[in-house]
Amino acid sequence: MNTLWLLTKKNLQLLLRAKSSALIVVFAPLLTILILGLSFNNSAKYGINIGVYAPVFSPDVEAFVSTLQEGEFKIVKYEANIEECIEDLKQGFVHSCISLPESLSVESNRPKEITFYVDPSRVNLVWMVEETVKNKFNLKSQQLSEELAQDMLSRLQQTKTGLAEEKATVASAKDKSSTAAGSTNAIKSGLSSVDVAPPTTTYDLTALTTFKENLAGRLTEGKSKISAARGALSDSNVSSTAKTKISSFLTQAEAELIAAEESFANNTGEGSFAAVSTLVESLNTDLTSAKAKLAAAGEKVASAGTGLDGVQTSLQETLKLLESAQNNANSMLSTLEAQKVTDATVLSSPLITKVERVAAGKTYLNYLFSGLLVLVIMFSSLLLGTTLVMMEKNSPAFLRNFFVPIQKVTFILSTYLTTLVLIVVQLAIILGIALIFLPQSYVALPLSGLILFFAASVFTFIGMLIGYVFVSEETGVLASISAGSMMLFVSGLILPLESMSASLRNVIAFNPFVIAERLIREVVIFDASIKVLWQDLLILFGYAAVLFLLILIVESVLHDRLKDRILHRHQKQP
Amino acid sequence: MEVIQLKEVSKEYNKATILEHVNLLVEQGDIIGIIGQSGSGKTTLLNLIAGFVAPSSGEVVYFSKIDRQPKNLNQNFSKIKKHLGFTPQRSSFYPKLSIKENLIHFGQLYGLERSMILENAKNLLQFTGLYEHRDKLAEQLSGGMQRRLDISCSLVHKPKILFLDEPMADLDPIMQEGIIQLIQEVNKQGVTVIIASHHLESVERLCSQIVVVRNRTIKNYAEVDELRKPFLKDNLVINIKAGKEKDLLITALRQLPISKIVDQGHQLVVYPEDTEGTVLGLLKIVKKEDLSFQNMDLRKPSLNEIFPFVAGNKL
Repeated sequence: MNTLWLLTKKNLQLLLRAKSSALIVVFAPLLTILILGLSFNNSAKYGINIGVYAPVFSPDVEAFVSTLQEGEFKIVKYEANIEECIEDLKQGFVHSCISLPESLSVESNRPKEITFYVDPSRVNLVWMVEETVKNKFNLKSQQLSEELAQDMLSRLQQTKTGLAEEKATVASAKDKSSTAAGSTNAIKSGLSSVDVAPPTTTYDLTALTTFKENLAGRLTEGKSKISAARGALSDSNVSSTAKTKISSFLTQAEAELIAAEESFANNTGEGSFAAVSTLVESLNTDLTSAKAKLAAAGEKVASAGTGLDGVQTSLQETLKLLESAQNNANSMLSTLEAQKVTDATVLSSPLITKVERVAAGKTYLNYLFSGLLVLVIMFSSLLLGTTLVMMEKNSPAFLRNFFVPIQKVTFILSTYLTTLVLIVVQLAIILGIALIFLPQSYVALPLSGLILFFAASVFTFIGMLIGYVFVSEETGVLASISAGSMMLFVSGLILPLESMSASLRNVIAFNPFVIAERLIREVVIFDASIKVLWQDLLILFGYAAVLFLLILIVESVLHDRLKDRILHRHQKQP
Repeated sequence: MEVIQLKEVSKEYNKATILEHVNLLVEQGDIIGIIGQSGSGKTTLLNLIAGFVAPSSGEVVYFSKIDRQPKNLNQNFSKIKKHLGFTPQRSSFYPKLSIKENLIHFGQLYGLERSMILENAKNLLQFTGLYEHRDKLAEQLSGGMQRRLDISCSLVHKPKILFLDEPMADLDPIMQEGIIQLIQEVNKQGVTVIIASHHLESVERLCSQIVVVRNRTIKNYAEVDELRKPFLKDNLVINIKAGKEKDLLITALRQLPISKIVDQGHQLVVYPEDTEGTVLGLLKIVKKEDLSFQNMDLRKPSLNEIFPFVAGNKL
């Protein structure tokens, strides 16, 4: 155990006394954690710019835009057309474009369509943007859905209340109809009890003959009387005129009587006057009976009339109630008809989100290609730069090179050129293979080559600088890998830059990896021209130039130390 | 004809003085050996002369062969260094290149015509005995061959001065002999050779001038014989048989003017104050006392023997 501790202590001592190792071992992880910590130590804000286009920014659209703005996004409004936003999306000024309708309120069975335009080449960002913005829209959709459902429920509630109210009316109409029906039954029953059967009595017509004979006798008697009256009249003192007139009348009466006598006389019926009398009596009996029945029927009819009055009243009231019910039903129907959204799908999803990829038709390889390409170039250049410098520094021939009449800058440039040659070979292989899968990319090759040349130069110089600063090849390579990993971590290829704090994001935007990757992406995917890219290319060139100068300075400063170390090594090593 | 001169040169490393007030004049065609104890500063001196390090104070001057004007070596190093060849202690070539490739590479770096390089390389390879191995990778060579390749690389551009740092280190006697011969041949072609070495035997054999570095400065700068004089005189080595005769011989020798007798068993090393008188006196006594010995050798003290005196603290 003692020995173990002893050896461990010795190892630690050796490690800490080797300055570069200590630097790498102790400070590199701390630095990494510090940078990553600073980078991702935020949760509230995204650095995502969302471009929003709407034909008209109506109040509800504005309200929704405000919701997005209040959340995690910075909103850029486009009022002319969506294409303008898409162009900005391609150039990375905005991370997503949203095409909104004039209004978000849904008033028909057609849902409102919202189109997202995303840049699929930013693979890790696409999902984040899609998810986050979609969540916002889902919330809005849910809100709209709730509003629609609430509206429908209100209408149903109104109808329900109307129906509840009409229920009493209908019940009342029903009662009244029931009463009318009862009354009608009662009337029907009353009327059915009315005896309208005709008398069945057989009348004896002989009576009429008898009556006639009797009447003839009486008529004869009347004639006698009239003769008597005429005689009396002639004996009387009345005026001749009057006598004449009375005599006329008497003559008429006598004539009538004679006529009647003749009528009766000719009557051969058995009844005679008595029979007639009997008949008449019989008729009288029938009449009496009929009169009684008619009286009873009259009472019934009178009663039915009263009942029908009640029925009429009930029916009139029922009619009124039904009219009211009809009006209310019409009103309820209008209310229900006013509900425009009746499609369950629209009710549940009033907003439809559609995702459009601005680089349509490209494969995932396209999207990842730029990142992978720069990744390969970065690590290759860094490691080659470091390794070549280390190889030269640690080469047995280093001391001899001091005596050759060659300038330092030539050695530096030769290392750079060596790296570049190797990178060109690597690139030729990679691009050659890539063209099999991405045949359409050959158009972008010249510009891509130029960008990769600048990028490779920058990364090579970084690698070389590390090579000059660090002493041992192991620590140098480790430092190169660390530097590459650091640039990769803060490149947006693994974690979106937009998830970092704003201040660091501004700095990290100048990460050469980020610049190179963006340039290659724009060239390969969006066929960008050099006119768009020249500023970033200039930055890369600037980096390369500054790094080259830095290498010259560092090499000069460290040269004497390096000589001492080399001399020491040459003298002390067995 | 002088080629390099050090004038009051001092060198400090990390505030520690390694050399101070060093003056040295290197003549053309010399083979100069720099000796000294470990850490005495001999390699620093070699590096100063070679211009590999700049002096902290003083000046290293190079005399141009054309105009003979002295020029500050360090200030004009980029122009002068093509006349210098440097072979460090450890191999200083590309192990993954073949012998021929190494020579051509370094020749090209000196801006020589390819035909000239090929000619130089061929001559060097034949001269060093590496011609048959010219296509072998340098890392595949033996230690002696690597040393020869190293020296060849330093000579491919035909320098005027060749600096060798510990050229005999890690070499067996046969290889050492080969290197000695090589250096002698190089020197014969007019190349000034400056060697820093611990290997005093080879230095003694090779060098016309010895620079002894001691106590941060050049203690001596002289020919070997010159160097020997102040410290140890010639000595006689008498090989005898052990026994009674040896004791008698020692008794007889004590009568002569000698400063010291060292009994080494079968050998008696006698340090006479007067060599000639001692030899004659010894012969007389031997004849008179009827003594005998196997043989007697008159020997000068080696550099190894005087080293403790000239480079160390032994007085």
